[in-house]
Amino acid sequence: MVRLLDALEKGLMLFNSYLFIFLFLPVALAGYFALGRVGNLAPVVWLALASLVFYSVGNWQYVPLLVASIAFNYLIGYLLIARQLRPSSRFAVLTAGVAGDLLVLGIFKYAGFLAVNFNAMFSTGFVVNILLPVGISFYTFTQIAFLVDAYRGKVARYALPHYALFVTYFPHLIAGPILHHKDMIPQFERKETKRPDPHLILCGLIIFAIGLFKKTCLADSIQPLVSLAFGPSAPSFDQAWIGALAYTFQLYFDFSGYSDMAIGISLMFGIFLPLNFNSPYKAASIIDFWRRWHMTLSQFLRDYLYISLGGNRRGRVLRYVNLMITMLLGGLWHGAAWTFVAWGALHGVYLCINHAWNNYGPTLSPRLAPLANIAGLILTFLAVVIAWVFFRADNIDSAYYVLSKMADPTNIAFGRGEIAYSAFIIFYAVLAWFAPNTQEIMGYDHERRLVGEKLAARRLRPLFLYATAAVLAFGILGIQQHSEFIYFRF
Amino acid sequence: MRLASRHLVQFLGAAVAIMLMAVALNFVVDPLQLFRPARFYHPMYSNDSRMQNAGLIRSQDFDTVFMGTSLAIHFRQSDIDRLVGGHSLKLAMSGSTSHEQSFVLAAALERHPKRVIWQIDDWIFRAAPDVDSNPFLPANLYRRNARGLGEYLFSGAMARESLWMLARSVKPFEKTVARLTTGVLFKFPIADADDINILAPSFDVAGFYNARKSMAAFVRIIDPVRSAYLAEGYDYEAMVRIFESDAIGLIEKNPDVKFDIYFPPYSILQFVAMRDASPATLKVVYDFTAYAFPRLTKFPNVSLHDFREAKEITHDLGNYGDVIHHSPAIDLKVLSLISERKYVVDPKAPLASLERLKAQIEVYRMSQ
Repeated sequence: MVRLLDALEKGLMLFNSYLFIFLFLPVALAGYFALGRVGNLAPVVWLALASLVFYSVGNWQYVPLLVASIAFNYLIGYLLIARQLRPSSRFAVLTAGVAGDLLVLGIFKYAGFLAVNFNAMFSTGFVVNILLPVGISFYTFTQIAFLVDAYRGKVARYALPHYALFVTYFPHLIAGPILHHKDMIPQFERKETKRPDPHLILCGLIIFAIGLFKKTCLADSIQPLVSLAFGPSAPSFDQAWIGALAYTFQLYFDFSGYSDMAIGISLMFGIFLPLNFNSPYKAASIIDFWRRWHMTLSQFLRDYLYISLGGNRRGRVLRYVNLMITMLLGGLWHGAAWTFVAWGALHGVYLCINHAWNNYGPTLSPRLAPLANIAGLILTFLAVVIAWVFFRADNIDSAYYVLSKMADPTNIAFGRGEIAYSAFIIFYAVLAWFAPNTQEIMGYDHERRLVGEKLAARRLRPLFLYATAAVLAFGILGIQQHSEFIYFRF
Repeated sequence: MRLASRHLVQFLGAAVAIMLMAVALNFVVDPLQLFRPARFYHPMYSNDSRMQNAGLIRSQDFDTVFMGTSLAIHFRQSDIDRLVGGHSLKLAMSGSTSHEQSFVLAAALERHPKRVIWQIDDWIFRAAPDVDSNPFLPANLYRRNARGLGEYLFSGAMARESLWMLARSVKPFEKTVARLTTGVLFKFPIADADDINILAPSFDVAGFYNARKSMAAFVRIIDPVRSAYLAEGYDYEAMVRIFESDAIGLIEKNPDVKFDIYFPPYSILQFVAMRDASPATLKVVYDFTAYAFPRLTKFPNVSLHDFREAKEITHDLGNYGDVIHHSPAIDLKVLSLISERKYVVDPKAPLASLERLKAQIEVYRMSQ
């Protein structure tokens, strides 16, 4: 009870908390499977209610906004799917729906940013103090996708409880993965998911354990090094690089750890979530990187923004323009700040260069392919690290400052501390580049709804089971304090 | 299905077993020496005083407690013992508030020391979260309740330190492990409790504490862009309320303990900065002193030392790294002055030192 009150006071129920692991999750699972004996609808309602409870911890004041958003989008969806409207009316309804969603997102996420820039340009004194509701970017995007698909005639009518669960489903609600209704709702409708499957629960636990370990043991451990570059003291050349690289790995292990935990939790309920990461730092090009990093966001931006803008169908020049617009808006989606715009712009430029190289660059002989791959991997990684400096910095000036230190090898500290920190960084780099990722370890196949086949077929040694149990134990033992996930703030 | 269920049970059983092994390791090694003093391995200590103090209070023998902020953090216990007498335990915490200090002192007073030497200033009585809302102070560890001990025993970070200490106690590994114990990878790098938060021998004292640095700090804090920070935390009503509960409350509860309370020798520049850039803050300082000194000197078990008027220290800017933090040489001087009782506030004239300080501040000119 004390824990619950603490959490209510301090905000957010975290996956990496005792409250979640030892109370909320077991109760949610038990209720879901118990109600599964009663019928097919009751567990869905239970899970939706449990998700609202999950969200309301620390965010209770935003629950009405979430519920209103669901009701609004469901109504718009109903008009598009069930009512026989004329094409022009359908378009008007879609426009109203998307505009409504974007308006709410704009007010809560961007009004303050707009006011600050307006004040800077016109010397006015508007003050906007609106707190950002957690998860608003994620649940707004999932619902816009639903409306667009409903308009395109790709959606059958869904029952309200299933739709509400699709939006609120707690494993993804706060920081994704961004779900697609066509992927999720049919799974919620299946009777089989309401019966406990020990194999899926075990695989879910193992995937959750890997994610928890990434968060509490890897991401949180390297976090103090980030301040070497982004802290109050002036960094030397090596400190700036250590800090920037530390953030590069912290962000990856934090966010991919969160995504693993979401996938693992969902799997315990028998629901397969889409993958969000596929060893992004192993990418040999920026195009490849975006197929591996925050994959559900990339797919969303591609399907609902880039293609809607015309994609590559209107000539090469417009393709680059569309790419830049998509990445700029993708950057802005992460937060209302010029640093995110700069980060998006940088990746837009990277992608344009990459596509131009593919179109106009020389064709390498197959013999040179391995070498080119290594060069591509290093170049891509460095480009990504430089972009992360903008992503992490408090403002553009700070980003330039850190980058200027990273480009000034005349000022090197390299003391005992820096040597130890460098060993840390190398360890993380080895993990990111050479270790198999979670889906490879577990044989997770979202499309085919398969996981842990080797485990089921006894092709894995008991050692695997004990090693992953140790990962879970270390993950739980690593829980020390209220450590939020970086992507919660988006 | 049956195989999967068996795997599930094995998996959960193994996870629980591993966690219990970590708990057992933490209990046996007990890096903070919360349950018992270290016997079969060499104890190690951390510079994270908010955490380490919880263990020191339990593991060390002492009859004198030394408390304070960053102004008291570099003192050596052996110097305190030598110059003031007794057998001391330093529990100073950088940036600490009176809530933290009073809470930690209360825990230490459960061990019935005879004396408390307490460095206080106005700023520790600023409004601050209570200790249970303070993420940096493991309050439940001091209380030794189930939650505090549970978090200690179930800590993976603590288990890592336990293993490290064990490795260090094995002869063939000792040197290698000691060399790797830098405080970066392992958080308990100090082999002697007397060395906790002491400036390293290699520290450039002259380069850090000098008139150039204190003047640079002065210029920085009176800059109109930053001068508002001088007033931060100075709310007279709140300070008096917090002083009453944290300081007076603790003294009243411990009439048998001797309290040597001292106001540290800030450089004169701190008050001159207030005089020139934030006069309202200086008035709060005066008013607070006018309230606190008569209150403190009424207690027969309190000796109050006001080093703010110690001109031979405060006017020599070479003693400072900024406008308030003094050098290790002044640490020793402070201890000697406590022993000599040179700047003890007279209970019959509790505001005399304040009047002398006011006069110094008024006449001080930067050309000096």
